[in-house]
Amino acid sequence: MNTYNPITALLIFFTISVFLYLLFRPNKGWFWLIKANSKSNGKIVVEDILKLLYHNENADKHLNINDIVRTLKNSDDLILESINKMATHELVTIESDMVKLTQSGSDYALRIVRAHRLWEKFLAEKTGFDEVEWHERAERKEHELTKDETDLLASKLGNPQFDPHGDPIPTNTGKIAKIKGNVLSELNVDTIGRIIHIKDKPDIVYKQILAENIHIGSLIRVVEKNASRIVFHSEGESFVLAPIIAGNITVSILEKDVVVEENLARLSILKAGETAKIIGISKEIRGDSRRRLLDLGFVKGADVSIDLLNPLGDPKAFLIKGTSIALRTNQASKILIKKV
Amino acid sequence: MKNKNIEHIISLSNDLRWQIGDEFHDNLAEGIYADAAEIVKDAVHKKDQINKLRIDARIDKIITSKTWGFPLMFLILALVLWLTIIGANYPSSMLAGLLLDTLHPALKGLASTIGMPWWLDGFLIDGVYLAVAWVIAVMLPPMAIFFPLFTLLEDFGYLPRVAFNLDHLFKLSGAHGKQALTMSMGFGCNAAGVVATRIIDSPRERLIAIITNNFSLCNGRWPTQILIATIFIGAVVPTAFSGIASLGAVIGIAILGIFFMFLVSWALSKTVLKGEVSTFNLELPPYRPPRFWKTIYTSLIDRTIIVLWRAIVFAAPAGAVIWLISNVYLGDQSIAAWLIHSLDGFGFLLGLNGVILVAYIVAIPANEIVIPTILMLTVLVTGIDGGAGAGVMFELDSVSATGDVLKAGGWTLLTAVNLMLFSLLHNPCSTTIYTIYKETKSLKWTTVASILPVIMGFVVTFLVAQIWRLLI
Repeated sequence: MNTYNPITALLIFFTISVFLYLLFRPNKGWFWLIKANSKSNGKIVVEDILKLLYHNENADKHLNINDIVRTLKNSDDLILESINKMATHELVTIESDMVKLTQSGSDYALRIVRAHRLWEKFLAEKTGFDEVEWHERAERKEHELTKDETDLLASKLGNPQFDPHGDPIPTNTGKIAKIKGNVLSELNVDTIGRIIHIKDKPDIVYKQILAENIHIGSLIRVVEKNASRIVFHSEGESFVLAPIIAGNITVSILEKDVVVEENLARLSILKAGETAKIIGISKEIRGDSRRRLLDLGFVKGADVSIDLLNPLGDPKAFLIKGTSIALRTNQASKILIKKV
Repeated sequence: MKNKNIEHIISLSNDLRWQIGDEFHDNLAEGIYADAAEIVKDAVHKKDQINKLRIDARIDKIITSKTWGFPLMFLILALVLWLTIIGANYPSSMLAGLLLDTLHPALKGLASTIGMPWWLDGFLIDGVYLAVAWVIAVMLPPMAIFFPLFTLLEDFGYLPRVAFNLDHLFKLSGAHGKQALTMSMGFGCNAAGVVATRIIDSPRERLIAIITNNFSLCNGRWPTQILIATIFIGAVVPTAFSGIASLGAVIGIAILGIFFMFLVSWALSKTVLKGEVSTFNLELPPYRPPRFWKTIYTSLIDRTIIVLWRAIVFAAPAGAVIWLISNVYLGDQSIAAWLIHSLDGFGFLLGLNGVILVAYIVAIPANEIVIPTILMLTVLVTGIDGGAGAGVMFELDSVSATGDVLKAGGWTLLTAVNLMLFSLLHNPCSTTIYTIYKETKSLKWTTVASILPVIMGFVVTFLVAQIWRLLI
């Protein structure tokens, strides 16, 4: 221990710490980057191209080779090579630079889409991952699931029809349900409807919608519409969105004669001493969590009031069916009530 | 033909499922509740319950109030721990008197009368028997006090309110409010705390609670903390304040443990266990008078005996190993001395020494035997008077005599502080590790839960040691 000196020891320690941090820090650590790079093989590029073509053809847009190279992040050579490979396997046809899906290419793409949406559904129902992360995780997982695994996953989830964003999940025979609805930004003032779909792309817009606390399945009423903003009421609160963001939300218009509960509110805004009737649980609460709430008695028509406030503000305890149940605010905001 | 039929049925069922839609479960639950309400209305006659509700509400108002909620909580926890530590002294010393001071010499005498060879006698009686006896004497009384008290509080309905009060802090660190309960249980015994995580129903939050339970200073570690704090921390302040100073140091370590619990929970839920609490709901049951005898019985059977049994199973081989490393020689050194010398350098970097590191390695089965092992090894390598021979663990009657032995072993205030830190931040005992494996059924998470605290202990003691040497 002749060369020992606390300062050298500390310096060595911090050098090692910084190195480990750079190597393993979340998302951008060198270790993860290298791991991700080594995985990006031909299969993933092929499948990404198929998906891109599929989504565009669904919107009646056709892409040429340049568009594909520009959209995907992989190296140009790899993409060109992949497209050629796909052409020889008859997944696509190339006619004067335009790339089109063949029947088998379209089937393949549909299978990837199915895996992606099923995985999102799985993440929503069975795990606690944040909504923001579903898409990205499904983007990676869709390439790993085989057809049999996908089918098993589907049957375990009860062959769901829609993914958590409201997108239809193709069946294993390729059937796909149609979304019938209108884009929120194009609705007229006083239209009443239900949110059925929230687009998860682009990322920035999706995160903004999530931050606004807008839920799929909510009833809305448009109260103002102009070039700069769209205002709508939903569940006792007022929301203001820019038209470009509202364009990512699809609403199914309800018949005029459907009675809409006007003083619908969220349980989170209930104050001590007030009593309310439960109208329902938002679609955003899924899986086990939803089942548990139902079991505890948060069902339509039940009376609810505040039992206890918390010294730290959150959670609050609600008195329901004679029992005191504590819920966190983010959960209470997804239970709909009508004040009495 | 048959296959076709089955396929037809499957696709029909899928179609029907689609038609039923998502509302199906909601409607079902609603229907069940409607029916239940109907039945209750006919069958149940309520007596006047308003009085009882008022009392409940009044207790709740105080327990969850901004002013009283938190002080009351700390007071009750402190009271339970105080009762446990003070109350366990008497039965512990009685058990020690019986098992260590009476039965141990008697067994030695018996062994020599029947002419047992010295190595067999040492291995079995000084090694295996002594370790088991020690664990029983030190572990049984505090657990037999702590667990019933804890279960009584649980039965009374207070503990769910603690979880309710503290939930926001746990939410900030990405964990479940019920972790407050498993954490408090950990103050009694980490293995029991790990078992208690069964009350957390979502797997991610449960895993966080399991991994961080070790940061609750358990019963096996309180005596070490108190002893070292009394000898070293109490000595640096005027005698009048030494009691308060050492008590403050021990409480400080326990609070540091809670801080690390939050920190690690937060770090885990930001990285490897990413996610949010998916299913948080906490039932706050009405208060009821605890069923005293039943509670005592079940807590003794369910918690104390099981944990004690596991501890004994692990302590027996540990005793054998301790005796063996002190008595088997490689060249002219015992294995223990050789290990201590080779770990001295690393120990110095951490502000500890080789003896402490070796003691923590061989005492993985039970934190209770760390101090006896340290004393025995210190005497072994320094060659000072005292002790009961190579491989025979011992403890001294007076605190000052213990201090003298440790100081002869080269201990300073820094060693004491870092030992207290390392006692908080090191791997869980083997009983807990085994319990973690049984609860998680995962080798990976068991490894993480075992290694993570040691690494943190190394880092923290290392930093403290370097900064201490720079400044003092």
